[in-house]
Amino acid sequence: MDLLEQLNGLASKLEEQLRQITTAAELEAARIDFLGRKGRLAELMSHLRDLSPQDRPGFGQAANAVKQRLLDIFEERRKRQEEEKESAFLAKFDPSLPGRSVWNGSLHPITLAMQEVCSVFQNMGYEIAGGPEVETDFNCFEALNMPPEHPARDMQDTLYITDKILLRTHTSCVQVRTMMKRRPPLAIIGPGKVYRRDSDVTHTPMFHQIEGLLVDKHVTMADLRGTLTAFVRAVFGSSTRVRFRPSFFPFTEPSAEVDMSCTQCGGHGHVDGQPCRVCKGSGWLEILGSGMVDPAVFQAVGYDPEAFTGFAFGLGVERIAMLKYGLTDLRMNFENDVRFLHQFPA
Amino acid sequence: MLLSFNWLKEFVPYSGTAEELGAMLTMLGLELEEVLHPYAEIAQVVVGRVLTCENHPDSDHLHVCTVDVGGQEPLNIVCGAPNVAAGQLVPVAPVGATLPGGIVIKKAKLRGVPSFGMICSERELGLADDHSGILVLPEADRFGRRPELGERFIEAYGLDQEVLDISITPNRADCLSVHGFARLIGAYLGLPVSLPEFTLEENGEDISMTVPVEVLDGDLCPSYTGRIIKGAKTGPSPAWMRWRLNAVGIRAISNLVDVTNYILMELGQPLHAFDHNKLKGSRIIVRPATDGEELVTLDGQKRALKAGDGLICDADRPVALAGVMGGLETEITGESESVFLECAVFRPSSIRLTARRLGLNSEASYRYERGVDPTGMAFALDRAAALMAELSGASVCRGICKCTPRPWKPVPVRFRRSRAEALLGVPLTDEFCLKTLESLGCTVQCGDAEWTVCAPGWRYDLTREADLIEEIAIFKGVDRLGETLPSIPHNLESFGAPESRHAFMMRVKHWAAGLGLNEAVNYSFVGTADLDFLGLPEDGRVRIMNPLTAEQDVLRTELAPGLFQDVRRNLAQSAPGVRLFEIAECFTQDVSSDTTVREVRHMAMVLTGTRFDEVWGHEQADMDYADIRGLVEKLFAWLHLDTPSFALADGHAYLAPAVRVSMADGTAAGIIGRLKPALADSYLAKKPVWYADVDLDLLRKASQDRRAAFKALPVFPAVRRDITFIAPLDMHAETLLSAVRGVKGQLLDSAELLYVYEPEGAGVRNVTCRLTFRREDRTLQDGEVDKEREKIAAAVVRQLGVTV
Repeated sequence: MDLLEQLNGLASKLEEQLRQITTAAELEAARIDFLGRKGRLAELMSHLRDLSPQDRPGFGQAANAVKQRLLDIFEERRKRQEEEKESAFLAKFDPSLPGRSVWNGSLHPITLAMQEVCSVFQNMGYEIAGGPEVETDFNCFEALNMPPEHPARDMQDTLYITDKILLRTHTSCVQVRTMMKRRPPLAIIGPGKVYRRDSDVTHTPMFHQIEGLLVDKHVTMADLRGTLTAFVRAVFGSSTRVRFRPSFFPFTEPSAEVDMSCTQCGGHGHVDGQPCRVCKGSGWLEILGSGMVDPAVFQAVGYDPEAFTGFAFGLGVERIAMLKYGLTDLRMNFENDVRFLHQFPA
Repeated sequence: MLLSFNWLKEFVPYSGTAEELGAMLTMLGLELEEVLHPYAEIAQVVVGRVLTCENHPDSDHLHVCTVDVGGQEPLNIVCGAPNVAAGQLVPVAPVGATLPGGIVIKKAKLRGVPSFGMICSERELGLADDHSGILVLPEADRFGRRPELGERFIEAYGLDQEVLDISITPNRADCLSVHGFARLIGAYLGLPVSLPEFTLEENGEDISMTVPVEVLDGDLCPSYTGRIIKGAKTGPSPAWMRWRLNAVGIRAISNLVDVTNYILMELGQPLHAFDHNKLKGSRIIVRPATDGEELVTLDGQKRALKAGDGLICDADRPVALAGVMGGLETEITGESESVFLECAVFRPSSIRLTARRLGLNSEASYRYERGVDPTGMAFALDRAAALMAELSGASVCRGICKCTPRPWKPVPVRFRRSRAEALLGVPLTDEFCLKTLESLGCTVQCGDAEWTVCAPGWRYDLTREADLIEEIAIFKGVDRLGETLPSIPHNLESFGAPESRHAFMMRVKHWAAGLGLNEAVNYSFVGTADLDFLGLPEDGRVRIMNPLTAEQDVLRTELAPGLFQDVRRNLAQSAPGVRLFEIAECFTQDVSSDTTVREVRHMAMVLTGTRFDEVWGHEQADMDYADIRGLVEKLFAWLHLDTPSFALADGHAYLAPAVRVSMADGTAAGIIGRLKPALADSYLAKKPVWYADVDLDLLRKASQDRRAAFKALPVFPAVRRDITFIAPLDMHAETLLSAVRGVKGQLLDSAELLYVYEPEGAGVRNVTCRLTFRREDRTLQDGEVDKEREKIAAAVVRQLGVTV
């Protein structure tokens, strides 16, 4: 039967045609030519109604077989084409091409250092407290046992707004504000900006401090030592040694400066036989000021110094940042050169 | 405080090195800064004897000397000093020795005569200013020891070779003298302390009755004493005293004045020497000044006085600013032969006030501000008078003029060992506490649980129990107390409280950095000129009364000035793009605030230049309005806030265009826009500078109760269709989108902007919107969506007069 022959010849015709083509578009054109709605198979199928009813089932079965055969041929060819494409892609793939850059966001090193310090104390259970940067003389000095004309005021050159209003010289004001608002027990840290009338290679007129305060019954100086030793180890490593040295702050008594072994020379005081640049040969770096809350401060905020004891401490964030990241020039912190900022990716 | 190690050892038999002493003092709270070697530069200078001294054959002022420096052969030295003579004992810098200022002595030939060293003047040795001739050395040091020829000069005469520079905290007035240090070291190490010995011979009539002292304000001056020394011959002090004062940073002046400085450094008692003959009327009055009085002080400055300044007056007029500085008219001069020597104590706060106001900080005022020991006055006065008499050949008049309206009384302080233990967290014994307190000079009355302790006159800082406990801690060793970790108290109320301001700010910082912005930190103060330049209002600015510079004289009312300066600095460094943010306070006056200032935390962002730093992998383009607005939109969405509205704002100070950002309820939340090109120039910006500022405190409050809320995902698929409108140039995209969204229908889910394209010279722009159609209850048919799209397009065309 002519029609059946034509039908059976489709597969070899297709195979012959496919030998001529290379591209995916040609393959698609061939597919439409043979299998499309108006393609060769469909054209032959349209003659089905001309057949006698008894011939129809046989033709139908044959047509389905041919259709399946054609589909298989196409599928095989398509797979081969894809494999060729994939191997061509792999052959010319250049792994040395750089990655597409996205924006290099960063957090300021002061923020990073501040966050690191805060999280150490937050993990210990301290809450974060805040206060304004413009402060009253009372909160900044008087309540902290520095009456007018106290020589300790010389330790901090102050920027004034008026005679009684000033830019806070330390975050210790946060202690005062918190104690005036709340009753013990209290465990807070207060991070923030502070200001002094001082500008040279080692001082910027604005810098950052973190204040800490614990007030409860039975807080001891040994607690202070344990807490700050834990802090220094958490931030600078467990092998860091800590030294407590008596000092003076008007708002603590007894007071102590806390030194830690030098991050550069490990506390030896020298590197390769030369005095260490960072600690100037002493092996120690001053890192914190601290002490037991002075009873005068408790009185100023209305706490009973017989019932409560407490400790307070304060540290300079820039100093931590300098030691942690090896910064050498303080002023660079406030120039915001993106080449500097990019070094602290967040 | 400069403490000579030698001088100290005259008071206390300390046997360690200066460095060891410094380390010990550091751990006692007196921090060693460094050990100075003031005479290290002249260490190689030796003692020599001039054997012969002839005139130089070819010079009218040079001398050719032979000098015995203990070697086999005398040195041949050419010397230009007019006073050089045979027989003198002189300091010689031999060839190879150094002198101050980096000078190295070399073999030289002066007008044909070889010279093998230099005979030095005091100035060349860095000992004093005298350069009138060479220094002729005394035959023996002050203890009578004769130097050997060739011996090192600084050793032969016992110069103070080691000086400890110690920083003294304001509470330690007792350690502002050699004696004070000796006392502390003696107490700590259990060593005896010896005071200098002297004999005071008094002569003539008793002046205690003939020169009355009146103190009109006993608070100002609790005790005032004086002695009179007559028949003095002023001149230079002996070498040992000049060189010792020089070693601790005090310039020698004359025997009478040097004695007062010497005693000040040695005993910590400031003294003032008046020329007695210039005092008018035989009386001394100590009184507070009245406003408007004047006094010319030693430094020649006329000082306007204020009520409260302490004054020392003679019968007629003020002659000294009490405890701060003497008057010029009664100062000791080369002709003075009679001295009124003042030794007093004054109220620290009053001295401080005066010294601060007049900017006069003297060694005397420094000590008076901190507290001078009233129980040491008598010894200091007698020692000074005896020393003056000895050095100037004068005689000391019998008796002391004095007035002591407030005699020193010890103040009893309670001490409980139990309290000390509770505060320090360490067990203590009664024995240790008693020994410590008594070694410090306290008198202790022991009770069972409570002791009564009286501090000595030199310890102004021991007035409360806590002060005593600190001394116990220091002697116990602050570094040797235990280390414990306290349990941190919590209260139930603190749980579930809203997020703290700090935590919120940190979260936003991380968000911004994660997005790709760089965090900047600028000073809170800027210059008035910076605010003026941006045209910011003058009202409400918070000015600094005593700014360091004019560039830092006002608190910033906005973050813009600092960030624009950052842009400038970065563009100067050829940064291709700048993408900064800052989160900080902005300050304005506010009478209702307890600090008179309102502080609001703002966040500002600035974008300029290329969108990406690297060309690779990106279509290069400059950042634009969409970038900055996108950041603000994203911030709102990230904080779960409703979409803000954006509206043009007219007449902004430094932005054009300026677009006001408002919360959904209309509250102003911030501004975005482009820095005016005329201003951008001075920040070196050639490309547009896009800026955004939002009130972060406001956003924090608004977002406090907001959180992510889940919405069920759509079940049936969406169908998308685009419409391109041809609209006039001045028609805002939002107008078209609103019109699209406003057309009534059941199928439209959302409409977004897809493209804006402006054909060259057409005077119109093509705005393509993407419409998303969806129904929650069934899948849409293509036909009904196409019909809906046509309906919307036609409605917008009708409503806005645009074409499709």
